[in-house]
Amino acid sequence: MEAENASDSGRKLRSDQVSGLMLCALAVYVWWMNRAYPVGTLSEPGPGYVPLLLAIFMAVMGLLVIVCGGKSVPLAQLQWGEAGRAAALLMACGVAAFALERLGYRITMAAMLIFFLGVLERRKPVMVALVGVGFAFISYYIFATLLRVPLPVSPWGV
Amino acid sequence: MKSHAIALWLGILMSSSSGLVVAQENYPARAVTLVIPFPPGGVADTTGRPTGMALEKILKQPVALVNRPGAGGAVGNAAVANAKPDGYTLLLALSSISVIPAADALFDRKPAYAIDQFAPIALLSADPTILVSHPSLPVKNLKELLALAREKQGQMSYSSSGVYGALHMPMEMFLHHYKLRMRHVPTTGGGPALTALLGGHVELTGGGPAAISAHVKSGKLRPHVSWGASRHVNFPDVPTFKEQGADIEYYIWAALLAPRATPAPIQKTLRDAVRRAVADPDFKNAMARVNSPIQYMDAPEFASYWEADARRLAAMVKIVGKVEAKK
Amino acid sequence: MVETFHNLLLGFTVALQPQVLIYAFIGCIVGTLVGMLPGVGPLAGISMLLPATFGLDPIIAMVLLAGVYYGAMYGGSTTSILIRLPGEAASVMTCIDGYAMTQRGRAGPALAIAAIGSFIAGTLGVIGLMLLAPTLANFALRFGPPEYAALLLLGLLMLAYMTGGSMPKTLAMAGLGLLLGMIGIDAMSGYTRFSFDVVELADGIGIVPVAVGLFGISEILLTASQALPELPKNPALRELMPSGEELRRSIGPIARGSLLGFMIGIIPGSAHIISSFVSYGIERRISKTPERFGNGAIEGVAGPESANNAAATGAFIPMMALGIPTSPVTAVMIAAVMVHGISPGPMLIAEQPNLFWGFVASMYVGNVVLLILNLPMVGLFVSLLRIPYAYLYPCILAFCILGCYSVSNSVVDVWIMLAMGAVGYTLRKLNFDLAPVALGLVLAPMLELSLRQSLAMSAGHYAIFLERPIAATMLGLGSIMLLFSLKPFFSKAHSDWRAKVGLDEVN
Repeated sequence: MEAENASDSGRKLRSDQVSGLMLCALAVYVWWMNRAYPVGTLSEPGPGYVPLLLAIFMAVMGLLVIVCGGKSVPLAQLQWGEAGRAAALLMACGVAAFALERLGYRITMAAMLIFFLGVLERRKPVMVALVGVGFAFISYYIFATLLRVPLPVSPWGV
Repeated sequence: MKSHAIALWLGILMSSSSGLVVAQENYPARAVTLVIPFPPGGVADTTGRPTGMALEKILKQPVALVNRPGAGGAVGNAAVANAKPDGYTLLLALSSISVIPAADALFDRKPAYAIDQFAPIALLSADPTILVSHPSLPVKNLKELLALAREKQGQMSYSSSGVYGALHMPMEMFLHHYKLRMRHVPTTGGGPALTALLGGHVELTGGGPAAISAHVKSGKLRPHVSWGASRHVNFPDVPTFKEQGADIEYYIWAALLAPRATPAPIQKTLRDAVRRAVADPDFKNAMARVNSPIQYMDAPEFASYWEADARRLAAMVKIVGKVEAKK
Repeated sequence: MVETFHNLLLGFTVALQPQVLIYAFIGCIVGTLVGMLPGVGPLAGISMLLPATFGLDPIIAMVLLAGVYYGAMYGGSTTSILIRLPGEAASVMTCIDGYAMTQRGRAGPALAIAAIGSFIAGTLGVIGLMLLAPTLANFALRFGPPEYAALLLLGLLMLAYMTGGSMPKTLAMAGLGLLLGMIGIDAMSGYTRFSFDVVELADGIGIVPVAVGLFGISEILLTASQALPELPKNPALRELMPSGEELRRSIGPIARGSLLGFMIGIIPGSAHIISSFVSYGIERRISKTPERFGNGAIEGVAGPESANNAAATGAFIPMMALGIPTSPVTAVMIAAVMVHGISPGPMLIAEQPNLFWGFVASMYVGNVVLLILNLPMVGLFVSLLRIPYAYLYPCILAFCILGCYSVSNSVVDVWIMLAMGAVGYTLRKLNFDLAPVALGLVLAPMLELSLRQSLAMSAGHYAIFLERPIAATMLGLGSIMLLFSLKPFFSKAHSDWRAKVGLDEVN
């Protein structure tokens, strides 16, 4: 969602006009998806009734945002300075989510923290290892062992 | 990093293929996970917790309870259906397990699981639902109720725990048998369905004996007829549909299941463990406190019971059909 | 009346025994710690500790659970204020001004007022529970689907009151939230909508991963590369506690929030979240300086926190008096007391008064212990902020993953949280207000269901909303509110404070 509008940095496009367009696009998408569900009647609304209403509402709001957005910040002036780093953070969390039930909680969390602290933040290796491994094992002890929250364990039992 | 990941993956593959052989010999060698496909506090949970504790004593290994709620139980059921069949992942299923695949078929959905992915271990409890009405409804018994419902065909309303849910199916059986039509007000669970009736917003609902007993005693609800094969111990005055000449039967049951491919010796160990667990006084006490009388059945007996039940329910789902399409 | 007092005294003599108090403290500490974990609110906290109470004496078990309950609620507020991480839906509003106060170095007073407000609201709630339980419970039952639909509509109209920035943008965000709420099985027809063949989505998107993603994760994404402003080292005790001025400002919001929350709380259903939204909306509307809201107004913390806590206590009325679970939390509490052989319901107060009053007393003890425990801990919590951000944010992310995973032991929730983090980041870049998304998401399924339930009850006649007095009154109130919020469009638009503030600075 965030990638498209960062790339098409139009000359005079205002940020609200872009977001209004995005809302309209979402409305059309919802309407398209919603065709699968019966709409029903006014006195007997079906499963597609409320989503259709909402899609129309979103489209109207999207248009209003575009119309009222003439004075908003020009898109080109938006600062995306931290976008790269934000993407890296999200990617790392995504990998962690993928690994969570496969490598177990402790290994995943230790690896993720070591990546953040060591690679992204470039802290001292000793601290990185200490915080990463320490956090993973202490939080596991508190939540899984003491409070019996079922956290995933790797196939090797760690 | 990359080669490391490959090594890890290889390790996972190997351990999963070789694990089975070792596991059978001295089962259980580690903690057993009991999946409860509903949130804490519901029938599945209040049955599952004492069951887990009783099994823990017998199996001499911790039994960890994991609530995997979602989609009316489909999420937790599917998780166990597709779990490694090593006896370390078990399911505490409710009767709705049979309805979900039938409803999936009705809506052309990708089925979350199939019933034959499970092996029955034992039935733990089975409660018939009981038809109750708001006291403001001027009927004292089933006959009067039927007369009123025929007179007001399509105008009376009942609440349920949700479409195709545990309280919807018995009501549809009842309506279908007597060729009645009523307005259906689905809610999001047994509690809200009962609340709607207590507040007088609908006229009827079906309820589990535990849920309705206090309200019946205080006169806030009036029981009419039970879906059980025989009268319920706590409601000796309430007749059954069978007594009234209607061949309909419905129970909300809870049972212990394992993935289908669980090795026979492990299934045997578990069945023996449940047989001893239901005799455990702590277990009996705990079940009595939450008002779910134990109804134990071992695997062979339970398997045929389940099959009959599933057939009944699947047929009913077909008859009900898509709620929208009917209109 | 005398008997009531006598019974309550009896309850307290039980609940105030030393070993009972020790358990109350343990419960509060564990609850606070658990509640600080994003995603793990009172519901998960109680469910987690439920098995541990099976072997205990019933009163001790209840005190322990009451402590966990209050502790978890307070723990959720703590993270909202300190790191903009709502542990549960009800803390979403606390995030806005609470975190703004933290950024201005007033984290201490925000935490303290949250504790004080919760305490006062809890006290008033317990008094209400004690005096009015049977009467109010019967009133609560009159809330059927039509009344519920009207109430939720009223909550949505409140949005127009809450908006800080442009109305179309706020309403668009509410629409987005409502659309997200459409995902999952339609309770009326059994259709699975917009689930993309993911079984977990059939149940809809939970509020927890969305709130954590939209508020918490997006904040980390926005600030990851910046150094946070230095906080004062070793703040004096005076700076940790609210000033006289701040206390004065908070009295009104706490009183109004308590009353409002209590009334909304006794209504069956999970509408409790709207109590904190409505409280925020009202405080902002009646404030003489609405432009302070969103920039660290203490009223914006005091009101919603009190409302939220009073609603939680109010929810126990139908539970104790009728024995029906009216929300997920009360469902777990009913299970907890039933395990000890107590069945809440119409017969409980009459047949087993000592248990009922023991329960009331233990709820209150939990509330008091929490205040005693947490006011001194404000300093400790604030000093958490002194951990260098480079170390703090990876740990917060790890906690977010842990918390969201443990809500229903599902990785899908973690994916939703991350996706919402990306969406929240983009929307905040584009100057959108995110609170309406959370409100819309929670209200959508309830509103749609109660609307269609009402129509099922009346066979399609909309007159049902006007024939029932409670529903009609609420709808009338909503229309009046709508007219008022449209007024600025018709009269000279520039006299409105919204124009003065300019673009929204809320997020």
